[in-house]
Amino acid sequence: MAETNEIALQVKDLKKHFGGIKAVDGCSFDLPKGKISGLIGPNGSGKTTIFNLMTGVLGADSGEVVYRGENIVNLRPYQVFNKGISRTFQITRIYREMTVFENMLSASSMRVPESEAREQAEKLMEFVTLTPLRGEYGGNLSYGQQKLLEFARALMTDPEIILLDEPAAGVNRTLLQNLLAHIHHLQEEEGKTILIIEHDMNVIMNHCEKIFVMDYGVKIAEGLPDEIQNNEYVIEAYFGHK
Amino acid sequence: MLAGFLVIAYSLPFAIGIYTENVFFDRQWLADLATVVLNGVMQGGVYAMFAVGLTMIFGVMRIINVAHGEMVMLGAYLSWMSFFWLGFDPLLAMVFTLPIAFGLGWMIQKFLLNAVVGGPELTPLLMTFGLGLAMIYAVEAVFTTDFKSIPYAPDSFQLTETIVVGKSRLISFVMALVISVGVFMFLKKHRIGKAIRATSQNADVAMVCGINIYGIYMVTSGISAALAVAGGVLVSIQFGFNPETGIIYTLQAFAIIVLGGRGHYIGAMIGGVMLAVMESLISFMLPNGTALVEIAAYGLMIFVLLIRPRGLMGPKTD
Repeated sequence: MAETNEIALQVKDLKKHFGGIKAVDGCSFDLPKGKISGLIGPNGSGKTTIFNLMTGVLGADSGEVVYRGENIVNLRPYQVFNKGISRTFQITRIYREMTVFENMLSASSMRVPESEAREQAEKLMEFVTLTPLRGEYGGNLSYGQQKLLEFARALMTDPEIILLDEPAAGVNRTLLQNLLAHIHHLQEEEGKTILIIEHDMNVIMNHCEKIFVMDYGVKIAEGLPDEIQNNEYVIEAYFGHK
Repeated sequence: MLAGFLVIAYSLPFAIGIYTENVFFDRQWLADLATVVLNGVMQGGVYAMFAVGLTMIFGVMRIINVAHGEMVMLGAYLSWMSFFWLGFDPLLAMVFTLPIAFGLGWMIQKFLLNAVVGGPELTPLLMTFGLGLAMIYAVEAVFTTDFKSIPYAPDSFQLTETIVVGKSRLISFVMALVISVGVFMFLKKHRIGKAIRATSQNADVAMVCGINIYGIYMVTSGISAALAVAGGVLVSIQFGFNPETGIIYTLQAFAIIVLGGRGHYIGAMIGGVMLAVMESLISFMLPNGTALVEIAAYGLMIFVLLIRPRGLMGPKTD
């Protein structure tokens, strides 16, 4: 849908240190608009910290996250969300003592009329096939269903950018195919920009158009799946020196 | 385990009453017992209402607000002022005393507590402690430490041939019930209520779902203060009060939320009624029972903390 060369968001020289640990140490990349991109790297390379910095969950030591011409780094998470960037978490974070429907409504802007929010929630629950469970408490859902709920909740305000932190983790193959079909639908039919952190290389290589690779808090490579698979820095980061 | 403990706790006054020959099981004694239990339920309803305010603050912000009872005391004085200075019925005056309380709670949150929420637990605790003391001394400066009371509906209702309840107590209970149900429905149905519950369950997730938790904190504090002031109004038409009365209500509210489960609204309501009934039974059945009520109430709190720290309905993990 969207012109492939457009940039949805820029990360510029972002840094975040925790004491002596350089979780993110000068990371930069341009997120292509209307595409599914992947963010990979070994454990502890700083991927989730990048998500946390992009969404305001963590404040950055320095650097910028430029979205629609504005530096959004160090905004509060709800401000980032209301600008059109939503996310999911590595380990699902739903409201366990609220129903599926209430979970959905909790992510609607107060500025949107309630009837509209309810309509959107119904539509999205149907999209992820959770409608039959709308009155069920979040804590009673299976892990896969919780993943779907969190994913659907992230779409409540029709965000432009969706950040998915390990959507395949702990999800069975059938549900994963279902989830990936939804992700493609969002990108192809609605022009959403999607960035996925994932350790499942099948997901990354088969579903992402562009891949960014991180190691020790910096970006060590970016490119198409074929390029990344043959990149010596990436191979070294994952498998060590020959 | 807790259920067993509560059965024992409720049976104990009967056992001691039988041992000390204070239990008779005749018609008059049973009627008196019914009256006592009924009064306990009604008093518990009022306590539960303002305890919900305390549990809301704890649930949403993990702040232990030790100035909550002082807000109840302030409610009693607002009631007294509206009655004696302005000539308003204290209950009708809630039309303006509750919005005033909401605004006060909102401002305390905005200008004081928002600065310390999420930090070390001791800081907000000490801040509310200081705030409570400031409120006591401010009220003392205006009204002195003299006890005050409001002559409101002093007569009684004859519910049955043998059961009588004070009119002011019955009115207070009905008002507390209406307010509690209203707050519960607000939390359950209204979007802001849902946002309060979402923030209470996980503030970090609420923020990434677009909820301005600092705004929610202010609304929560406003509601909590309004509930406390409503409690103060309802207490003022039944009992005397002075600026130091608030401490008792703070402790009472703590005992209730420990029993019901910290951060749990229904738990607080059930805990409030249970505690008040227990107090009524003790004062009715034990020799010199009135003097033992407080010991029993806080003893119960300590035991619940020992055997089931999350209370009756609190979440398994804090």
